[in-house]
Amino acid sequence: MFVIEKPLPAITEDGAPYWEYAKQRELRVQRCATCSHLRFPPSNVCPKCLAEEHEWVALSGRGTIYSFIVIHRPQHPAFQEDAPYNVAIVELDEGIRLHGNVVDCRNEDLHIAMAVEVVFDEVKDGVVLPKFRPRRG
Amino acid sequence: MSGPERLRDRYAIAGIGLSRYGKVPGVSAMAFCLESAKRAIDDCGIARDDIDGVLCLMPAQMGEQHGWASRVAALLGITPTYSSTMDMGGATPIGMLQTAVMALEAGFAKAVLCTFGTQTNPMGIFPMLFGSPWTIPYGDIGAITFMAHLARRQMYEHGISSLDYAHIAVQWRRHANANPTAQMGKKTMTVEDHQASRLVAEPLRLFDCCLFTDGGGAFIVTSAERARDLRQTPALVSGLGQVHSSEVIRPYDDGRGGGSDAGTQAYRMAACTPKDISVVQLYDAFTPRVPHDLVSYGFAAWDEIGELARTGQLTVGGRLPCNTAGGLLSDGHLSGMNHVVESVRQVRGTSTTQVPDVQLSMVTGYGGAPHEPPPTVAYTVAILRRP
Repeated sequence: MFVIEKPLPAITEDGAPYWEYAKQRELRVQRCATCSHLRFPPSNVCPKCLAEEHEWVALSGRGTIYSFIVIHRPQHPAFQEDAPYNVAIVELDEGIRLHGNVVDCRNEDLHIAMAVEVVFDEVKDGVVLPKFRPRRG
Repeated sequence: MSGPERLRDRYAIAGIGLSRYGKVPGVSAMAFCLESAKRAIDDCGIARDDIDGVLCLMPAQMGEQHGWASRVAALLGITPTYSSTMDMGGATPIGMLQTAVMALEAGFAKAVLCTFGTQTNPMGIFPMLFGSPWTIPYGDIGAITFMAHLARRQMYEHGISSLDYAHIAVQWRRHANANPTAQMGKKTMTVEDHQASRLVAEPLRLFDCCLFTDGGGAFIVTSAERARDLRQTPALVSGLGQVHSSEVIRPYDDGRGGGSDAGTQAYRMAACTPKDISVVQLYDAFTPRVPHDLVSYGFAAWDEIGELARTGQLTVGGRLPCNTAGGLLSDGHLSGMNHVVESVRQVRGTSTTQVPDVQLSMVTGYGGAPHEPPPTVAYTVAILRRP
């Protein structure tokens, strides 16, 4: 039977370390070696100062929900069985905004400014997606 | 004057044309380009051989079909001295107008045909897999998800409600009901219908979304002098502006409202203010774009949006008549070519929801790749003047 699978991250040179760290349950992004700007999405050139050098630094993984939506009619058939499912934009304490699903939470309990933390979901062998869950306490 | 102000009212949209549009299966995107171009040529009576510039909006869903504008030119028997295929999504129609004006001013062309055609079924390529590893694996795919986030922030920051969106959609639908070519021309909509329509990407419902439309549009730009010798009242190009936003989710939070710089440029070039605008066609791919543009371009404050929508202020007789052909929501999604055409009709006095005594007719565009980090959005604005 023909099965439509969910699309997985397309790995490129710039982004590969992000996904490698995710496999190790770490959330890391590039910090510019010249101006310290945190780059996201990953890039070979800093959008602030155009430097190429950088290091991958660990983030707290803590943040708050900036926006969230609940998708009832997915634009891709592989997500149909999950609908309705949420996608949030999370503003991390470091200021970067990431898309991700919020797990361990009913859609109707989501709200802007909700405190969340990163969790790592191995969606397929060797493919780990950073997601979020409500922070407690 | 050394800036664009010196170009004020020196060029004009002389001819306009829309092809058949709506659900029109079996017609190619190219055929829609050619049909609308022919109608624009016939509309103003320009000689085909007087057209020496051709611009075309890249029909992105057709895949890598390069050189689109050149093919349009060849199939119309035009040998351009200037031609380009442009890709700014829904900002492109006004982007083409601006590029046409620049080509004319520089002397690279004397009359520029701008056109677009699209066939949504079947599309040339699988349309869902554009984009980015940072959103797609989470099922955040397509333009509507970004617009749903925009709506969520409008609701949170400014108290906009789904009912406000409903009143906007219903007003546009009434305009479409008066427009015999509108895709939804024969279908009425009530606020209750909107609120009962199915959720697509909460908080957005089906009736917050534009239509899927097959069809094309075209317009012809030339000097004001040449336009005066043609068949129709010229729509003088008074103001033009564009700005490109590229920060992550920037339209929510840059404090100026995404695109406001494009409006500022256009008002400055036209030497006018928002209060001088008689009628506007806003790029309404989804309902949240309407409050966004009303605020960004200086027509309203956030806390006025609900009342404007509810009390009939966005139609003839109200504070600012908008989207008088029905908009992308109810007329059809021709990537804004129909908005440019309608803004010209308002100058000519030939709209089916005509605003009396139009002096300045404005149109906005919006496009790019807002749905993948970093979202890149092009905002375009044009202001047309009745001679």
